[in-house]
Amino acid sequence: MRTKSERRIFLASVTAAVALGTAATASAMHIMEGYLPVSHCLIWGVICLPFLVLGLMSIRRTVSDHRKSLLLLAMSGAFIFVISSLKIPSVTGSCSHMTGTGLAAILFGPFAVSILGIIVLLFQAILLAHGGLTSLGANTFSMAIAGPIVSFLLYQLGKKLNLNRKVNVFIAAALGDLFTYCVTSIQLAVAYPSATGGVMASAVKFLGVFAPTQLPLAVIEGILTVIIIMGMESYAKPELKEIGFIGEGI
Amino acid sequence: MIVTAVLTAVVVWLLFYGTVATLPLGMICAAAGAGLAALGRHSHDGVLSIDIIAQRSRLCSVNPALKVCGCVGLLIFCVAADSVPVGVGLALAMLLLTVAAGGLPLHDYLALLALPAAFMLVSGLALLFSWEKSPVGVINLPLAGGWLSVTAAAQVRTLLVMAKALGAVSCLYLLSLSTPMTDIINVLRRARVPAVVVELMYLIYRYIFILLNMHRTMRDAAESRLGYDSYRQSLRTTGQIYGNLLALSFRKAGACFDAMESRCYDGEIRFLEQAKPLRPLHILTAAGLALLAAGLLFAGGRM
Repeated sequence: MRTKSERRIFLASVTAAVALGTAATASAMHIMEGYLPVSHCLIWGVICLPFLVLGLMSIRRTVSDHRKSLLLLAMSGAFIFVISSLKIPSVTGSCSHMTGTGLAAILFGPFAVSILGIIVLLFQAILLAHGGLTSLGANTFSMAIAGPIVSFLLYQLGKKLNLNRKVNVFIAAALGDLFTYCVTSIQLAVAYPSATGGVMASAVKFLGVFAPTQLPLAVIEGILTVIIIMGMESYAKPELKEIGFIGEGI
Repeated sequence: MIVTAVLTAVVVWLLFYGTVATLPLGMICAAAGAGLAALGRHSHDGVLSIDIIAQRSRLCSVNPALKVCGCVGLLIFCVAADSVPVGVGLALAMLLLTVAAGGLPLHDYLALLALPAAFMLVSGLALLFSWEKSPVGVINLPLAGGWLSVTAAAQVRTLLVMAKALGAVSCLYLLSLSTPMTDIINVLRRARVPAVVVELMYLIYRYIFILLNMHRTMRDAAESRLGYDSYRQSLRTTGQIYGNLLALSFRKAGACFDAMESRCYDGEIRFLEQAKPLRPLHILTAAGLALLAAGLLFAGGRM
């Protein structure tokens, strides 16, 4: 056993680490470059493929029908990139960013988002150093496929149930964000299972260390998405109609 | 920056606790933390600082296909090699190349490395600690009837993961800090990525700057009208600006389309490409790096 003073120093360091860990994450949910083993990079990439092919076919169809939609899609992609790179007001005083997954899924539908998402993630990796090239597959799955699909389904379900629109948008965006965070934690846990507890114990650990930033962020993301959609509905009706033909959203 | 520095010191402490004596370890941690705090300058002079650095880099004129293939190849090698020496060696080599050959100040390079460091350090904590029934680790903390401990095996594994990630990020940085996006997209076009995707990438890259400019104007306008006065108000302002940004950007896309139609847009966009020939010195450097990586793997072995 260590001496008392050593233990005290250590405890202080852990407390500091936990406190700082909550403040240190700048868009921490992108799995960074080189973090996953090669086999996992490949597997996540392959899992993404069918969704990407579907997305590509859907985009090709809309672009050949309406040539203008290529520009609208490009603007939408740039928009997702820009809002995910800008700082938003946050409670802890750290740099946090919107992920934009929920908003994009509600506006453009899940198919277009998969292709826009992988492009945006590639740009984020190269221009912002968020995420990476080898982890592109895993990040695409969590942020451009799994999260948006959950948001989209919840949004459609809410519309069927005649939920209040604000509540519906909030739930779809916030839960989509939370789901992304859970998927990322599980991806990390599968890559690095705990020695004694296996994948589940490891997943709990990853969920734990990222929870302090991700939980409030999901709420903020939900609130912002509601304000954005409400704002657009009140003064950008024609633009919303234009989006209607990009995807199955709105 | 200070936060990252302290977190770095803490993680270094946990990584080597038990293998290195307490006093020198404390000094190493303090040095690592202080070095980062002093050398890395955290600046927010623009969202796309990496893009500006790439355009200014002295390595910008190197053939982009060589840079993409070389960096991605080394990156994959670094991840697949599973070796601490390869990761650390590549990280140092890339630092040397970007700073000495590319002409990027060391401060700026370290500040950029601090970006992914947040993820690396926080998830490093998760890799280090595990919950055990008995105090088997190098460090044990009582928690909920068991022990929260850092085992020697976890230390070795975390060190390996972090070294790999550091090497891989450095390879990515050599690419992104020396190659403008248009060059990378051109390489992708040559690699037969579907035409729709390549065109989307070009346009998205272009529109990012338009949107960032529009956003800056709107943010300044809101700020001068006390739009970010309270937390509640700043949330509302941010949301309204984002909504407005999307609406305006769609109007802009409409205008762009009209302009393109009137200039004979037929559904295909062609871009002018600057010729950047392959040079023997660059090929030799790439081969040297590959040899270095292979040599490190051979000499250091897997661990």
